[in-house]
Amino acid sequence: MNDFWLALLGMTCITFTCRYFFFSTSVAFELGPKIKRLLSYTAPSVLTAMWVPIVFLGHQETNGDFITSPFLIAGVTTVIFSLKIKNTLAIVIFGMGVFGALKLFF
Amino acid sequence: MPSRTAIAGGSTPSDFKIIYQAIVDIFPLSLAVVPWGILCGSLAITVGLTPLQAQLMSLLIFAGAAQLAALTMMGAVGSLSSMFSSTFVISSRHLLYSAVFREHVRKSSLGLRCSIAFFLTDEMFAVTCAYMAKHKKFSAVYALSSGITFYVFWNVATFTGIVAGQHIPNLEHLGLEFAIAATFIAIVIPTIKNRSTLISVISSGVSAIVLSIFMKEYALIAATFIGMFCGYLTKEKSAINE
Repeated sequence: MNDFWLALLGMTCITFTCRYFFFSTSVAFELGPKIKRLLSYTAPSVLTAMWVPIVFLGHQETNGDFITSPFLIAGVTTVIFSLKIKNTLAIVIFGMGVFGALKLFF
Repeated sequence: MPSRTAIAGGSTPSDFKIIYQAIVDIFPLSLAVVPWGILCGSLAITVGLTPLQAQLMSLLIFAGAAQLAALTMMGAVGSLSSMFSSTFVISSRHLLYSAVFREHVRKSSLGLRCSIAFFLTDEMFAVTCAYMAKHKKFSAVYALSSGITFYVFWNVATFTGIVAGQHIPNLEHLGLEFAIAATFIAIVIPTIKNRSTLISVISSGVSAIVLSIFMKEYALIAATFIGMFCGYLTKEKSAINE
């Protein structure tokens, strides 16, 4: 593809600019308390917008049933587990363990 | 292996401990993207890129979803402008991440700011936010080490896809992306300590499902904004304390 190098350059610039934009000292404005409060919900919102589709729509990838989907069962189990246990690594290992077991046996 | 409680318990953990912690924390997320890295590498070869070009995409762009979308377009002879606009839509959430980290890095040197920006991915943002919530402070060492770890995994996976893509069965169907779900659940659920965060999580989760049916490309960023605004607009008693 002749345009490849242009595509590579353009995409590199776009992704880097998005990541760097608010780090720039020439973006002069101060983020006020209202914006900061809004931004404090970024992590819970964006991470949830990523994990919820994996858990609730994961079955579509493999054309499986919703109710018997390992994604759904392991996902809901992980959520319940995370309400009791606060250790991140323990939750991840538990969740992957349940998912792996379901994948293996069903 | 040093125990995790010892690391968390120290008031000023050494850089080495922070680096170790960062690598441990991002490991499950790194593992989860391996199939996608391999796919990026092998798809790049399939659509006719040279091995060097394929590797450069992961080395320079370093954005899985954007790379996959672009490769699909290259395969279908898509236009440059459609490739760029899709890259922007997919990458737009990184603007939010850079806004969140802004106050923590703006006093840093240009080199450090550029480095943190370059390695700023969903996964690095997630674990760094979790670290900040736990230790009440931002750590550039933590952000960089988790980001670089993820970068190495992504590029080794891409390389594997380039070299051996045709011989590797489709690992995407193993469901390794569940590791992403498990990690994000482990990060998000324990941070729900007040009503507004709960509302923000529920509204973004519900809208992510609903929106992905109608407008898949914009669903993530739209659901994120809906969640943020719903959390922001929720009145709560604890807000007085802030």
